Amino acid sequence: MFLRIFVYKLKELSRKYWLVGWNFVFPLVLATAFFLGFGNMVKEDPDTLQTFDVGYINELDESAGFEQVLEELSEENDEGTVLLNLHTYSSKKKAIEDMNSDEIYGFYVESEDGIETVIRFNGYVSTIMNEIVREYNNYTDVISDISKDHPEKVADAIDAISARDGFISEHNFGNNTSQYLQYFYALLAMTSLFSSWISTTMLEGMCANMSERGKRVECSPASKFVSIAAGILAGTLLQIVSNIIVVIYIQYILRINLGVPMGTMIVLCSIGSGLGISAGILMGSMIRNERLLVTVPLFFTMTCSFFSGLMWGQIKQLLQYNCPIINKINPAALLTDAMYIRSTYGPTDEFYQDTFIMCLMIVGCLIVSTLFLRRRKYVSL
Amino acid sequence: MSQQVVSIDNLVKRYGENVAVDHFSLSIEEGEILGLLGPNGSGKTTTINCLLSLLTFDKGNIKIWGKEMSPSAYDIKSQIGVVMQNVAVIETLNVYENVDFFCGLYINDKKLRKQYVEEALEFTGLTEYKKQKPKKLSGGLLRRLNIACGIAHKPKLIIFDEPTVAVDPQSRNSILEGIKKMNKAGATIIYTSHYMEEVEELCSRVVIMDHGKNIANGTANELKSSLISREKIRIGLPNKSPEILAGLKEINHVYKVKEDGEDVIIKCDGGEHNLVHVLSYLTDNNIPFGHVTTELPTLNDVFLEITGKELRD
Repeated sequence: MFLRIFVYKLKELSRKYWLVGWNFVFPLVLATAFFLGFGNMVKEDPDTLQTFDVGYINELDESAGFEQVLEELSEENDEGTVLLNLHTYSSKKKAIEDMNSDEIYGFYVESEDGIETVIRFNGYVSTIMNEIVREYNNYTDVISDISKDHPEKVADAIDAISARDGFISEHNFGNNTSQYLQYFYALLAMTSLFSSWISTTMLEGMCANMSERGKRVECSPASKFVSIAAGILAGTLLQIVSNIIVVIYIQYILRINLGVPMGTMIVLCSIGSGLGISAGILMGSMIRNERLLVTVPLFFTMTCSFFSGLMWGQIKQLLQYNCPIINKINPAALLTDAMYIRSTYGPTDEFYQDTFIMCLMIVGCLIVSTLFLRRRKYVSL
Repeated sequence: MSQQVVSIDNLVKRYGENVAVDHFSLSIEEGEILGLLGPNGSGKTTTINCLLSLLTFDKGNIKIWGKEMSPSAYDIKSQIGVVMQNVAVIETLNVYENVDFFCGLYINDKKLRKQYVEEALEFTGLTEYKKQKPKKLSGGLLRRLNIACGIAHKPKLIIFDEPTVAVDPQSRNSILEGIKKMNKAGATIIYTSHYMEEVEELCSRVVIMDHGKNIANGTANELKSSLISREKIRIGLPNKSPEILAGLKEINHVYKVKEDGEDVIIKCDGGEHNLVHVLSYLTDNNIPFGHVTTELPTLNDVFLEITGKELRD
């Protein structure tokens, strides 16, 4: 029965012209519009990561570990790229002069107080410079903690860290991620969240309090849980296909490198689709008004997409500085962020954190929806 | 002795302060066509929804085939077919797919289901339209599709909730004939309507509902014979002087004389040859009169007598 409902739901949903239009055609049109608008900028973005020059000043009396890290990063990695050219300085004055004359992007000052990053402009390179410091501090904190609690194991800890492929291998800095790619990531997030429409449409035909068809289904001996689960699966599958089409279109037809391995992209799109579907199920489980079943998912999708930078790229950064929690509860921002991080820094902890939050949201939405949908009798119809 | 199929005992359903079903009781025997008659808002659909365990109710007990009806009573549900008041089909699936989808909720066996679907299409006269989408069908055909979706799995109890609303007379006759055939084939039918003619024609027993209450219950003839008014005579009478009207009222078995526009309506409470007596009075007294018609009581008269209002008010 599950399979039959699944197949019929696939047929039913895929034959809805408006749904195909919004979920399949509209993202392609928007991707084309983005491509025409700033496709070349993506390919020739001045902010695209290239080897950058960075200065280093050691104000310590001894040789520093951080300098070794920078030296490691200035060597060619396995992919044949070099992240940075290292310039060492003895004084800040010379470093500042070079920074002002654009010979270096910025510089680090390592002293007893820690590592200070000096930059002229905020931007993509400055983010990477800060990330390098953050990761280095993480390493040193680990060693420091171990030396306090278990001094005898410090040597083992250093060996363990050294045994890893090296600092640079932790970060996949090789991809040339343009800031304009954010728009394409936001587009994919929007496409994923459009699936909330699929859910509300699907639920409408399953629940007695939403339609006569729903009454007919609930009068039958088919389990409500099985019917809805089959519908969810059909909706998710449709949305994943839609996302993959958009990804293939952007990557192979528009020839814009999204910077995320295809497998990872499909997983992320599937999670995004699941998120859209589960959010739609939640909405459908609470809304009875036929008009609201269309307008609420649309409003939800467009609002989330706006705050993830679909219309104005800077909004996400602005929120990150002023109200970061919004980026952590906005599903579109999470998906965009996960793609951006994966593309720029590789599979970091933050990438996994974003992915985990999205999965958590899916589970949360489904649990709350179940509480509403498990109702087997209605007070009114 | 026939088996009791449905038993509703003292059902009460409230929507806030409004009592939609008020201590309603009903029992239906196997093979019956029960007509649930009542004006719009009388509680028919609410009763059906409670019976199908879609709605919660405040009080009472509902049993089908002797078992308590509940949302998880799948064995009972598998034997029930429902034809909704509004057309409940999937717009993007064609006629065959619609019937197959809804039949598939009951019948797992693919071969059997195919046979049932084809029989349902044949039965409703939709075979030649099986590849068409619902929006291409006329209103009557759409209603037939609605019926096919509800009965394809060959249920033993079929509930028709006002299936002929907004249907042309030809399709209506076809639907009514179909229901009779299903009943002959062994199905017990519950038929809700506010069209008394349909109910009179179709149902072996009638329950009249008003304000959620069961106000009358019996065969159409039983209900009509319970009326005081057994015969209604309508006469075109130019002169409606009080003397003439009083004289008419004096005739044996005449209990009410009422002006109705150009006509006078004379109600008789039984007796024989009432029309002859009325006409004799008029001719004997040289009272001129026009057209004359007599009407036997209808279910509407039953409703009117019990509630004081027309069924379609």
